[in-house]
Amino acid sequence: MKSRKRWALKGTIVALCFLVAPAFGAGGEPPDSVRIDSLSHLYNGVDFDHELHVGVEEDCSVCHHHVFGNGVADKQCARCHSNSKGTTSVACRDCHVEDPFTVEYLTKMETDPNRYHVDITGLKGAYHLRCFTCHIEMEAPSECASCHERTDAGDRFYRSGKYAPTGGGTGGSHE
Amino acid sequence: MSGISRRKFLKSTVVAGGSAAAAMSSTKKAFAMKEFEGYPESMGVLVDLTRCIGCRTCEAACNKEHGLPEPALPFDDFSVFDQVFHEGKQKRRTTEKAYTVVNRYETKDQGAPVYRKLQCFHCSEPACLTSCFVNAYTKTKEGAVIYNADVCVGCRMCMVACPFSMPAYTYDSALHPQIIKCNFCYDSRLKNGKPPACVEACPQDALTFGHRKTLVKTAHERIKANPKKYVDHVYGETEVGGTSWMYLSSVPFDQVDFNTTLQHHPILDNTKSFLGIVPMVLGIWPAMFLGFHLLAKGGKGEKKDKESKNRVEVQGE
Ligand code: SF4
Ligand code: SF4
Repeated sequence: MKSRKRWALKGTIVALCFLVAPAFGAGGEPPDSVRIDSLSHLYNGVDFDHELHVGVEEDCSVCHHHVFGNGVADKQCARCHSNSKGTTSVACRDCHVEDPFTVEYLTKMETDPNRYHVDITGLKGAYHLRCFTCHIEMEAPSECASCHERTDAGDRFYRSGKYAPTGGGTGGSHE
Repeated sequence: MSGISRRKFLKSTVVAGGSAAAAMSSTKKAFAMKEFEGYPESMGVLVDLTRCIGCRTCEAACNKEHGLPEPALPFDDFSVFDQVFHEGKQKRRTTEKAYTVVNRYETKDQGAPVYRKLQCFHCSEPACLTSCFVNAYTKTKEGAVIYNADVCVGCRMCMVACPFSMPAYTYDSALHPQIIKCNFCYDSRLKNGKPPACVEACPQDALTFGHRKTLVKTAHERIKANPKKYVDHVYGETEVGGTSWMYLSSVPFDQVDFNTTLQHHPILDNTKSFLGIVPMVLGIWPAMFLGFHLLAKGGKGEKKDKESKNRVEVQGE
C-alpha cells in the first residue's frame, strides 16, 4: 500500500513536470523542439522542430492563438481576444483534449452556460488541421510519412506493406 | 437474438396473409400521423468536407471495427479515387464489404479537390425502416438505424426505398443473404456512449460526434464564423425529414454528388400510399424469394462457406 502511494506520488510529480514545462514558454524562451507522441499508435511520434517553424512563421498567434497576450491575427478571435492577457500555459494539449467525444466532455461543452467555445477540435485534429493546412499552402511535405513514420500496427491497420491484400478481395468497389 | 427464424416467419406470414399486412400498414399509418421530431437524445456526426484530406483512415478503421473482408487495394492506395463505374457516371459506392467509402471530386468552384465520405445517413425517419414490411429495421434512441438479419426476408424493398442507396445486399451468400450497411457502430460503440470507429480515427476532425441537436447549431456557427469558406447549407438538417449524419461543404452540394432534389419532409409520407401494395407483395413474395434463392445459389460456393460460418457465430450469441 505504502509503495503504491509512493509510486502514485512519483507519477504525479513526473506528470506535473510535463504539464508545467510548457508553461515556461509563456514567460521564457520558446523550446527548440517539441516531442509530439501522446497519440502515437499507427504512427511514431513527431519531433517537432519548433525553432525551424518559428523562423518560417513569425506570428506566434497563428498556432498559439491569443495565449501570449500580445494580440491575435485572426479577426474573428480579435473581437474578444485583442486585449486578452497571456495564459499560464501555452501547450496545445491544455485546450485541445485527447478525446473530445467522451460523454463527460460532450456534457461539459453542452451544459456550461458560461462557455463560449464549444466547438473545439481534439488534440489530434488540432495538430493535423494546423500542420497539414499550412504544409499544403506552403508546399511543404504533406505525405503522412513526411512527418511521422508508420508503425507495424499502422501497416496492419491500413493493410499496407507486408499486410497488403493478396488479391481476391473486391471491397470498396461497387455492385 | 430475436426468437423468430426466417423460416417460421415465412410460414406464419403465408398463413396470415393479407390480414397481417393490413395490420402492419395501419401501425405504420399511426406512426406517420403523429408528429415525430426525432429522438431528443439522438446522436449524430457532422462531416465537414472542408477538413477532409481523403486519407481513407476512416475506411480502414471501419474495416477493422467490423472485421470486414480484405479490400482489393490497401487503404493507403489513392488510385481508388480514379475508379468509376457505369460508363464513368458513378464513383465508388458502399458495398457489403465497405460500409463507408471516400471519393474525390474535382469541382469547378474550387481548385483543390474535395473529398466526400459516404455512409448511411441514419435518417430521423428512415425510408428503409418504413418500407420494410417485416420490421427488420430499428431507429434506436441513440440515433442509429440498425437492421436485424434474422427477420429479413431478402425482398430488398429497403434498397429501393433508401434515398441514398445505402443498403447493400450479400448477393454472393446463397444460404443467408442479408442487407448490409453502416450501423453507426451501434453494438460495439454507440450504445456504450462511444463515437463510431471512423470518427475516432479521423486525423483531421473532419467528423464531429455529438448530439444531433447540438451539431445542427455547431454547423450553423461554423458557417457564420466563416461565411466565405462554407456554402450556407447544412445537408441533412432537413433533407428527407433530417438525418443523424450531416454535411458542411465549401462547394455547392450537387458538385460533390449529393442529391439536392430531395424533399424536406420524411419519405414516410410517400411510403404510406406505397404500403397499399404490401398485400400484393406478400402474395408474390414466396415465388420471388424462391427466384432469388435459385439465382443466388448459382455460384460462389467458397464464399458461401465463409458466410454461413459468420452466421453461426451470430446465431450463437
Ligand atoms: S440513409 Fe437509407 S439506409 Fe440509412 S437510414 Fe436513411 S433510408 Fe435507411
Ligand atoms: S479519416 Fe477523416 S480526413 Fe481521412 S478520409 Fe476519412 S473523413 Fe477524410
